[in-house]
Amino acid sequence: MKCTTSLCGTLLLLALGATSAWAAGPTDAQIAAIVITANQVDIDAGKLAKSKAHSPDVREFAQRMITDHSAVNKSATELVERLHVTPEPNPTSESLQKGGDENLAKLKTLSGAAFDKAYIDHEVAYHEAVLSALDKTLIPSAQNAELKALLVKVRPAFVAHLDMAKQIQSGLSKSGA
Amino acid sequence: MTRPRLLCLSLAALLVSSDITAADAPRAAEGAVHTVVIENMRYNPPELSVHRGERIVWVNKDLFPHTVTAAAHAFDSGSIAAGASWTYVAGKTGEYAYGCTFHPTMKGILKVQ
Repeated sequence: MKCTTSLCGTLLLLALGATSAWAAGPTDAQIAAIVITANQVDIDAGKLAKSKAHSPDVREFAQRMITDHSAVNKSATELVERLHVTPEPNPTSESLQKGGDENLAKLKTLSGAAFDKAYIDHEVAYHEAVLSALDKTLIPSAQNAELKALLVKVRPAFVAHLDMAKQIQSGLSKSGA
Repeated sequence: MTRPRLLCLSLAALLVSSDITAADAPRAAEGAVHTVVIENMRYNPPELSVHRGERIVWVNKDLFPHTVTAAAHAFDSGSIAAGASWTYVAGKTGEYAYGCTFHPTMKGILKVQ
């Protein structure tokens, strides 16, 4: 399982890290698509985990991901509409979507403790990858001041989510899951 | 024009003074309002000292809901929506560690003297 987890994290990092391959960084329209997709795939995983997870802590965490990432997307969508920016799909947002779909497909085949572990392991890798992309690519590349401010504002939530996921991950491994 | 205005002012003064004299002892201790801003997944200031009877207002400036929940539920705001606030009047003296039940990484301390 450990190999799968690190592979999963590597794939995520590759998807988000691909943004560093942009010649002049992603445009605001591309950043908008990346942010909205990144939040949406975590909301989708959260919805599945809320109904399928075994541990109450994992179900609670899943609900928090749905609530918090939905709020981020609501703000992001309102902002881009106000700025008349149309989110532009790009290789990074597309591979994020693909990675999210693959994660859902894998989670659907699991149940009980194995589901909880796979979901939480992916959440740790996902939040690490998003934080890395925020710091290295998305925040530095954002041109519009309000878009940049929104990215800076949501960053602490991703840090808190990562800490929460790691704490649950360590609890699951102690309980032998 | 001057007379009605004067009368109005006197009435206002009377209302204010009657409000003060009518105030009972615990209410007299009220007055100070402290604000704790919830932003960037933090309580700011993280530690606050108040006197009994004073009000504390937690203002949620984050994009998502938070709670202000003391250990053993000495006080508990329940969910405070984004942009909303919650007011608590400090009742009993003591030191209360509190946090957000939604985000366990968030912690604060309220000292009531």
